[in-house]
Amino acid sequence: MVKAAMQLVNLKKTIGKKPIIKGLDFEIRAGEVFGFLGPNGAGKTTTIRMMVGLIDITEGDVLIEGKSIKTDFKGAIQHVGAIVENPEMYPFLSGWKNLKQYARMVKGVTDQRIKEVVGLVGLDKAIHEKAGRYSLGMRQRLGIAQALLHSPSILILDEPTNGLDPSGIREIRKYIRNLAEKENVAVIVSSHLLTEIELMCDRIGVIKNGELIAIEEVKGTENEELLKEVHLEVEPLETAKAFLETQLANEVGVDGKELSISVKREEIPHILKGLVEQGISIYSVRVMQATLEDKFFDLIGENTIE
Amino acid sequence: MSNFINLIWNEQIKLYARKATWVMFAILLVIVIGGAIITKFFGVETDFKEYGDDWQTELQAENERLTAEMSEDEFASFTNPVLIDKNNYHLENDLKPQPYDGWAYVLDNSFLTSVISLFTIIVAAGIISNEFKWGTIKLLLIRPISRTKILLSKYVSVLIFAFTMLVFLLLTSWIVGAIMFGVNGLNPVVVQNLISGFAHNNVLGEIVTSYGFSLVTLVMMATFAFMISAIFRSSSMAVGLAIFLMMAGNTIVAVLSKYEWAKYILFANTNLEQYTNGMGPAIPGMSMTFSIIVLVVYFVIFIVAAWTAFTKRDVAGN
Repeated sequence: MVKAAMQLVNLKKTIGKKPIIKGLDFEIRAGEVFGFLGPNGAGKTTTIRMMVGLIDITEGDVLIEGKSIKTDFKGAIQHVGAIVENPEMYPFLSGWKNLKQYARMVKGVTDQRIKEVVGLVGLDKAIHEKAGRYSLGMRQRLGIAQALLHSPSILILDEPTNGLDPSGIREIRKYIRNLAEKENVAVIVSSHLLTEIELMCDRIGVIKNGELIAIEEVKGTENEELLKEVHLEVEPLETAKAFLETQLANEVGVDGKELSISVKREEIPHILKGLVEQGISIYSVRVMQATLEDKFFDLIGENTIE
Repeated sequence: MSNFINLIWNEQIKLYARKATWVMFAILLVIVIGGAIITKFFGVETDFKEYGDDWQTELQAENERLTAEMSEDEFASFTNPVLIDKNNYHLENDLKPQPYDGWAYVLDNSFLTSVISLFTIIVAAGIISNEFKWGTIKLLLIRPISRTKILLSKYVSVLIFAFTMLVFLLLTSWIVGAIMFGVNGLNPVVVQNLISGFAHNNVLGEIVTSYGFSLVTLVMMATFAFMISAIFRSSSMAVGLAIFLMMAGNTIVAVLSKYEWAKYILFANTNLEQYTNGMGPAIPGMSMTFSIIVLVVYFVIFIVAAWTAFTKRDVAGN
């Protein structure tokens, strides 16, 4: 059992008489990247704000390294680095001076450490420019730098790849994975970019209308028993189709120049061998991953806000 | 403690990193220099006159001239009696008139504390609401520091700003005054025309009381703006309300002065000088002690309201 870095215990938030968060119960372990997924208005940001003590908890609690954010705010929050929604900075201060502001608020953050973090997020060149002139991507990096200054054991990132170019996204993704794997940091990433989350997260919690409706292990989807959709580009098409229909229990679909079949992973080599023996030319074989996106939409159905 | 000093340091950096703050200091400097030029070239001539050893005779001669002027010139008959009275005061008390100098200019500039009040209100109104406007409040409140401490550091920063401006006003007034008018020693005696009649005092004491009394309004209005900023999270609202009340305060009191309860209005009590300058209280039945108690009660209400709003409320939607 891996130690829980953060624990949500029956977390509830009611605004007026309207329940916004209806009892969340889950934990985030040290060294994992946890994806927090849900449609707009599902309560992601409200939950994150409760995690960092920006808004009051109506019922339940958030335990950070075993300390309650409600009763031991300082003890709990010192383990957390976060960006809540957009990475807003003081536009009239340079990136460096922005970081200095936050460095002064905790003990033991040296200039050396700030330099190190700036290097990590790749802002060395622009760090002495005014933050007001930064692009969204640069602000995002500065936001991550700000969250990492005090070497937190839990990192909460709201939409961290927002506004980054593809290479920036890849870098941040690599960096987040690195933090989790090498430094044992628990990273919570909220995002609506499902493919993004799929690529960097170990587990994903799906929230809808203030309720957690599923927790999925991303890497655990490599289920041997699961049927996979395989696309084959073969010639001649009809011969191949006829052959496959004799081999397989279920239907063979035709998709343009390709055939699509549903098979177990272990069956794939046999089928290919059979096709080759039949003298059929195989140009390509593609195994379609059941993407998270499909799962996500299966889970939440319509994006309704109560 | 070191972390509280760091918080104040942070606030000061944010304040002075913005041009608006420097513009405030520049405006004050322009007013100080401009005021000195106007005083120098359009001031009362006799104020600048240097008297010799035989100043008693000079003053008597001056009085005779002024009296003669009054019978010829109607305007002079209004303006000259004050000058004659002043000369007589010098003669009676055996005080050699001193020409107008840098010290006197510092004393005259005590009215500029209202400009400082204005600027302090602007700073106080923005110091919390700007963090909400910039969205940085979220980053500020997720540090291992209590909201109370952050609020206090902001309030103290406002007071430090007001104090800095005050020191700036005193220094620039003295320097500009000294350059334009000279200085009559370290702590000269000044003769002032008060409501209760002429009086002479050491200038340093007068400067301290005059500026000191005006600080009451400054601190109260800055605290008020600070509270509005904490409650409504809007600087324009805080600036607007505080400046409106500061300007209209005396009128409000005057209009309502027929009611007994008007003495509990903040603005009836902010001018503590009403008890020392012989003018008498704005509303009968008030005393210095009464006013101080009323001021303290208002102050505590402002601070508690700001604290409650800042520490208890959710930070959502910013």
